[in-house]
Amino acid sequence: MTHEELRDSYELYVLGAADAAEDNEIRGHLARGCEICTAQVKRARWMAAALGQLAEPAAPPARLRRRILASTGYEQRRFGLAPFLGAALLMALFGTFYFSGRVRDYATLATRLDGELRGATIELTRLREALAIINGAETKVLTIGPEPQCKVFVNPEQGVLLLAANLAQPPAGKAYEMWVLRRNKKAPLRAGTFRPDSNGSAMHIQRGAVNGNDVAAVAVTLESEGGSATPTPPLLIVAPFAP
Amino acid sequence: MAIHAAASDRALAARLQRRDPQALAELYDRYGRLVYSLILRVVRNSGIAEDLAQETFLRVRSRIQGFDAEKGAIAPWLLAVARNRAIGHLHAAAGRRRNVLKFEEMDDPALAMEMERDNLNPETARAVKAAMEKLSPQERQVIELAYFEGLSTAEMAERMGQPPATVNTWVRTALQNLRKDPGMAIPA
Repeated sequence: MTHEELRDSYELYVLGAADAAEDNEIRGHLARGCEICTAQVKRARWMAAALGQLAEPAAPPARLRRRILASTGYEQRRFGLAPFLGAALLMALFGTFYFSGRVRDYATLATRLDGELRGATIELTRLREALAIINGAETKVLTIGPEPQCKVFVNPEQGVLLLAANLAQPPAGKAYEMWVLRRNKKAPLRAGTFRPDSNGSAMHIQRGAVNGNDVAAVAVTLESEGGSATPTPPLLIVAPFAP
Repeated sequence: MAIHAAASDRALAARLQRRDPQALAELYDRYGRLVYSLILRVVRNSGIAEDLAQETFLRVRSRIQGFDAEKGAIAPWLLAVARNRAIGHLHAAAGRRRNVLKFEEMDDPALAMEMERDNLNPETARAVKAAMEKLSPQERQVIELAYFEGLSTAEMAERMGQPPATVNTWVRTALQNLRKDPGMAIPA
């Protein structure tokens, strides 16, 4: 197809609404670095973004914000007057219903359910992040075993994921710490502490970009619970990394 | 929808990349309403819209490291992710798995790299609405089917019960008219 024939196809391509033939043709041009198609797609993206404002404004429920922030494990700290107003409201409610044991029972139940929901939401978010690393096109997989059995996924854009089984429970006051060991005698990067569950399984994520060319290995040591500035020998797990 | 300076969005993207916990809250405060409105328009169900809005913000947060704030604008990318989540949901519900994968692929932050100018502001919103009102009802309908449902011209023809050639003409004419509209000119 010529550029003239493709003239009205770029917007559809950008919207994912082009027919297969147009879609493949534009992809081919872009893959070859076609300057005309690159400019047209850029223009079409501008129009597509503008079309996004055609939706009638709708107010999201207030809970959506809380829900999104809770799912990232973020607790708001800057409330302004909200906590004082909230506290005043709670005190008023408490005074009104002080003698009603049922209210207190419901409040306890709500608090517990809220805590459980929050925990489940955070865990779901962690699983999503882990899946994103596992499914990343650039992800490299390192396998170590058999005892402990361990897989490490390194994605240059998203971070490092460690999945381990048969890990011994660390002694009281101790935790495992993951490290990114770097080439050319550069200092190891701390990658967070973790503890296995009661079955000896662990899923630990270190989020953030990793320079794959710089990584020599991913390692795990046993450290005090707060972690250590440098890895304390011995290295319990070492997964060598080839960029 | 308030105007937000591109520089401010760049700083916000950088904070998201540093995992500043307050940054996601600010991103939501700036664009949560726009994202939710768009998703609700596509799926027409407030419960599903909430789920998909949550997915949108988490997806942007998880893929922010691949985003270059110096070359791209975060708001159009966020909106593209929202649209793709919502349309992906529609296509999944209709059993069109191939289309779902296509919309997943379109979430790539690299696709937002060439978006030099943040065009999400009240002026552009008014301009695009005015330009749409100048289209014929059929032309307006096909643009809405493409944008809000991600339908190809063949799928639109089937939906509208019209010959594909006729729908194709409406689509081409609508796009040409939108491009020619003075309000839709890309600022220099």
